[in-house]
Amino acid sequence: MNRLLKPSDMAKPSDCLCHIEPSDLSPLPAPYEDFNQVTIPPLNPDKVKHIETTLDDTVAIGIPKPASREEEEELVRRFLSGLKKLFEKENNWTFLQPLMLSMEHCAKCQTCSNACPVFEMSGRKDIHRPMFRAEVLRRIYNKYLKPGGKITAKLTGDIDLNWTSIARLAELSYRCTLCRRCAAACPIGVDNGLINHEIRKLFSQEMGIAPKEIHDKGTVQHLRVGSSTGMNPLAAKDSIEFIQEEMEEITGYKIEIPWDVEGADILLLHNAGEILAWPENVGAFAIIFQAAGVSWTLSSEAAGYDAVNYGLWYDDVQFSRVAVKHADIARRLKVKKIVIGECGHAHKALTVIADRLLTGDLNVPRESALVTLEEIVLRGKLQFDPSRNDFPVTLHDPCNVVRAMGIVEPQRRILRKIAPRFREMTPHGVENYCCGGGSGFAIMSGYNFAQWRNLVSSRKKFLQILNAFEDEPQEVPKYVCAPCSNCKGAIRDIIGYYHAEERSRLYYGGLVELIVNAMADMKKPMIRFGDEPSWAS
Amino acid sequence: MGFYMLSYLCIFVSILAAAYLIYRQITLPVHVRWELYPVQHETAARVAYGGSYLEEINWWEKTYERSLFNELRYMLPEILFLKGLWKENKTLWWVSFPFHFGLYLMIATFGLLLVHALVTLWNDYPTASGGAIKSLLDILIVVTGWTGLILGNIGSLGLLYKRCTDLELRNYSSFSDYFNVLSIFLFFFSALAASLFTDPLLEGAKAYALGLLTGGFLLNAYAPGQSIFGGVAIVSASLLVAYIPLTHMSHMFMKYFLYHNVKWDDAPNRRGGRIEASVIENLELKPTWSAKHVEADGRKSWRDIASSSPKDMK
Repeated sequence: MNRLLKPSDMAKPSDCLCHIEPSDLSPLPAPYEDFNQVTIPPLNPDKVKHIETTLDDTVAIGIPKPASREEEEELVRRFLSGLKKLFEKENNWTFLQPLMLSMEHCAKCQTCSNACPVFEMSGRKDIHRPMFRAEVLRRIYNKYLKPGGKITAKLTGDIDLNWTSIARLAELSYRCTLCRRCAAACPIGVDNGLINHEIRKLFSQEMGIAPKEIHDKGTVQHLRVGSSTGMNPLAAKDSIEFIQEEMEEITGYKIEIPWDVEGADILLLHNAGEILAWPENVGAFAIIFQAAGVSWTLSSEAAGYDAVNYGLWYDDVQFSRVAVKHADIARRLKVKKIVIGECGHAHKALTVIADRLLTGDLNVPRESALVTLEEIVLRGKLQFDPSRNDFPVTLHDPCNVVRAMGIVEPQRRILRKIAPRFREMTPHGVENYCCGGGSGFAIMSGYNFAQWRNLVSSRKKFLQILNAFEDEPQEVPKYVCAPCSNCKGAIRDIIGYYHAEERSRLYYGGLVELIVNAMADMKKPMIRFGDEPSWAS
Repeated sequence: MGFYMLSYLCIFVSILAAAYLIYRQITLPVHVRWELYPVQHETAARVAYGGSYLEEINWWEKTYERSLFNELRYMLPEILFLKGLWKENKTLWWVSFPFHFGLYLMIATFGLLLVHALVTLWNDYPTASGGAIKSLLDILIVVTGWTGLILGNIGSLGLLYKRCTDLELRNYSSFSDYFNVLSIFLFFFSALAASLFTDPLLEGAKAYALGLLTGGFLLNAYAPGQSIFGGVAIVSASLLVAYIPLTHMSHMFMKYFLYHNVKWDDAPNRRGGRIEASVIENLELKPTWSAKHVEADGRKSWRDIASSSPKDMK
């Protein structure tokens, strides 16, 4: 089972193409050695009886098994139809040039493999090579869609096409976090992360196949209800009202969170997950903006209080719909700019990707909150007492903010000012490692996917965090600053899964919490390590 | 004459294929941004850590500036010395660098041979400086030619050895991958053998270049068949010139688009600008994706679909 796999093996019958043994995984140091014997729990046979599970030990999508040979053939036909559309400008002008360039120029040198944390942590399993899934798609395209492909395939790389290979390819596209470390490492500039993104699009846009967490409960719910969390506008306003009260209780600072202020300088877009899971983040933003005298507002319109855009990971159509909604809300509010809160993928979605979708007055200027915050913190608009953050802090770099947008230093300049014991992870900045929760993984937990994520895709980040604090005694509380909701979710799960709060006193949170925690006029600390306040009030 | 015909034909195919590849790229629609940092035309201070103009407050109020100097400062060591590969995959660099540098030196040698041929033709009308220029060219041709051939042989053999013995490479290699390296090795080997055994000063190559410029009619042009190795070198070089643009090896020049049109394409969309005009055009394209939630019927444009809330979300 652990033999070397070739792309052509994707079409061959097997119950499990790639199995990971505990000994395959990169070892964890003390006091986590007991996890070196832990494996991904087997799938419940009753739960997976009717879905495709032949790729590996986990399931991300849960594709129903076709009922008949005819249905299989129809699905193969639809796959090929979608593949063809990926190379047509009418259907894929959004990514046609990057896709063609990456499909046509890979030298198969494997440089990308060494850059991939999932490949490394999985014990170098072939299916996790960045170029593996790209090569599968390339071979299918060359053989089944190019003229004379069936003959040239014998020379350029053969592969059979059947429902098994297609179902496996769909699942495999959800084993890559789209961190694009592979693309950064490729000397030619080939982007296997992009090819993976295009595979996901093909399945979603042509075949309606996508994980329910990012489609049904994600973009669909976002467009229908107003938020991927399921919160409608009324619930969002209620929650924010609750946060206002909570903030006063926690910090002693009274805040008024403004709604729908026409003509405000800033429309602040939060990931609505913050409102539910990390209300202190929303509260901290409000404290900072209020204390700095910023003219700002939230929007109570459906989709206007949730910055997420899960379409970024799997579907250009859903992506465009959400992006247009965000921009239209800002346009109608007549704000000067949209500021995107601590959510990495929302940063990239609205600032970079949507940049070439939004035209005319929909093209409202967009800015990262990290930049806005830097302006406030470093220009002396607030007074700080950095000694209040006198605990070890390390910074996680969200791939979408750093590698995909080049926003690297503002968050560091803030930390250097307010966190005297700040230290970097290795590597960091544009060479960072993904939290393991990228591209939707942080919110996907069906079947045993969450365990797979904690054991495999988040493992490198866990090792990096431990390494950043290796010189600190166990009993000292340590803070992982992750200015991104999905990354925070993944890091929360790592800490919980490995009992790292108990064993290493690891805590996590955003950047704004650290800023507020160091503000001189706060009466009480915002950050607590369990029951222990971070400074005495 | 057959050798010259083959060379002309191959050069013609090569130009045609390269022109087609480039034409196809420049006529593709403007795509969404997908840059990756560091973007090397940023300011030197930002390039150092991979920063971007998006780090500035109200960045849209500032002028979008690109530094060609910073770009070149990155590109030259990348193209000439494969700096990226050195950083990311040192074991491969030791064979890939001599292979690529050998090819570059061969291209440089060919350029020098053409200049030499032009000077030879010019010397039919002698000038005072003609002799000195030719002497300098003679030296340069020998130096670049021999260095390129030695490096190319080491590199292509090394790449072949690595592809055969490294399981990670072998597992993903197809017939064409071996064929490509073998073809290049055949050229390097035959050209080195010809130089070593019969023509250490590359006089045959000079004569052949002169023949290429004159249709082979000049008396001192290379007469094919003088050396088997020389003949094989001419045929394999000609075929490679035609073959490379037809394969993924066209990355030698297509890398320009991979970097400039994707990896470093950070140009913002300004209202009323060229990018916006292209996007407006793209938004009128009519997709035909079949999933129900897309609700494409071949009549609705991207603009219609993006501004709609579909009924069926499956």
